[in-house]
Amino acid sequence: MSQYETGYGASGNNGGGSGYGGDTAQDSRDGYASTSGHSTVASYSYGASRGGAPVVSFENVSKYYGRLKAVDGLTLDLRAGETTALLGPNGAGKSTSLDMLLALRKPTSGKIQMFGSDPYTGVKSGRVGAMLQSGGLMPEVTVRELVTLVTGLHPRPEPVETTLKRAGIAQFADQRVDRLSGGQTQRVRFALAICGQSELIVLDEPTTAMDVETRRLFWSSMKEEVAEGRTLLFATHYLEEADQAADRILVINRGRLLADGTPAEIKARAGAKRISFRLDEVNEPFLLGLPGLVNLEVRHDIVQIQSSDSDATLYAVLDAGYRPRDIEVTSLGLEQAFLAITAEDDAANGNAHAGEAI
Amino acid sequence: MSGTLLLAKAEISRLRRNKRYLIFTVALPVMFYLIFGKQNANGYGVSFKAFYMVGMASFGAFSGAFNNNTIRISQERKDGWIRQLRLTPLPANGYVVAKILASMATTVPSIVVVFLLGRFYGGVQMPIWKWIVCALAIWIGTLIFAALAVALGYKLDPDSVQPVAIVVFFFFSIFGGLWFPLSGALQKFGEFTPTYQIVKISTDVIGQGSIALINVIGVVVWFVIFVALATLAVRSTAETV
Repeated sequence: MSQYETGYGASGNNGGGSGYGGDTAQDSRDGYASTSGHSTVASYSYGASRGGAPVVSFENVSKYYGRLKAVDGLTLDLRAGETTALLGPNGAGKSTSLDMLLALRKPTSGKIQMFGSDPYTGVKSGRVGAMLQSGGLMPEVTVRELVTLVTGLHPRPEPVETTLKRAGIAQFADQRVDRLSGGQTQRVRFALAICGQSELIVLDEPTTAMDVETRRLFWSSMKEEVAEGRTLLFATHYLEEADQAADRILVINRGRLLADGTPAEIKARAGAKRISFRLDEVNEPFLLGLPGLVNLEVRHDIVQIQSSDSDATLYAVLDAGYRPRDIEVTSLGLEQAFLAITAEDDAANGNAHAGEAI
Repeated sequence: MSGTLLLAKAEISRLRRNKRYLIFTVALPVMFYLIFGKQNANGYGVSFKAFYMVGMASFGAFSGAFNNNTIRISQERKDGWIRQLRLTPLPANGYVVAKILASMATTVPSIVVVFLLGRFYGGVQMPIWKWIVCALAIWIGTLIFAALAVALGYKLDPDSVQPVAIVVFFFFSIFGGLWFPLSGALQKFGEFTPTYQIVKISTDVIGQGSIALINVIGVVVWFVIFVALATLAVRSTAETV
């Protein structure tokens, strides 16, 4: 249990959220060190230089649909100016978490705060712009009319023309909303998320239905938004997007936060490198004790190791007198890292309580 | 409030472009009145011309506030437009209030046009205050059906809401006596409908220059019931809208 608490603690247990904020480098070291071993819970301190109260905080938030646990004790903070990706497989609780953050659903237990008040007040103050997968558009009006309407609802609106340009919808602004293609519709929904001068932007799977070119344009306009100091939270299943766009990635599975760190840290968490070699006499207990080892697979004489420190792992093998053949060291992408983290969790789920008791 | 008014304005301009809406709320009542309005008969102690004028104005207003809203609310809920609005600074009740305000605005033409027709085609003559009271009674009555539309639109999916709306609409139209004056057993039954009560308030004003308290109470009771149903429907769907 204590490991569990420590794991999440960096982001939430200390009230003011000092786990991220003005914390020392030592804290980050600790956070890192505690997870580089065999522990199943990852936590990294992030953005040690950023200060101030969190834009968003989840405190032990759970959501049940009947007996189904969609979100399970989620604790996290988002700080001003961060771009955070929420990464998880389908049904991981991403959408439910965003729904609760945006006051569309109420948590069964726990507390969510946005700009220091409740989510509803936060949303109605116009300080957040959001685009959800489930959000729809008003039919029978033109794109410009719709954007003008929603812009008018904001206390601090952006000029309509600016929004149309930024969202890349100016060229079809006079078309009717119900006659757009899927990708165009998605861009209009994006326009509605950025038509006010919001401090926080929340996007659920923003680039679904966009082609590659549109997706590129989308992220470049998103970078403009972020450059103005906005905080961005987006859920995605495109790992590549999380890797390229996010400062920080939150990996969630089964409603729980599994990992929290920069893309590089997440990759390291899962064992950033895969080492494979052939070895005639495999000594599994020895291999399991290797430094940096995250995962081990042995098939006949083929050994595959996922390692957070491939150099150290390999030197240890050589130092022990082994002379493996066909050595290959390959980098894992975020995708493999993500799969490794969630697979580990799924495997551990059967004895989740044992895991917590470490 | 300004956000709600802005949305109401957008709803009105949407409706103004909608041909179907104009056909049901204005063209159809006008056509019926032109065909049937000049019968030599009586209804509730007034001439048929006057009765049918009230009936058709109510029919157009009822249709505008109910049929149209029920289907749209249900569809917009399913499409996620209501959800999208919940992510904006628009107040939580803004969507429903804007819908009702828009209905109130867009039922004005049905009432005005049918009344003009009654005056200049049907030859209905009465003091100006009676015109105003009758128009107001019908106009305020549309609130009842706007509330019922919210209840059904929030509770039922687009596929099932359409037949339900049609059944409810015809039930209240026929048993409320919008198309022909009720009598005998039918009237004993129809007396309870809000449509009957609205028509009766108007014909009482036209014929006797007074309003029966029982009908006013009836209208208020229906209004309270439908508002309660609407509130329940909106609340019970809060997490899924």
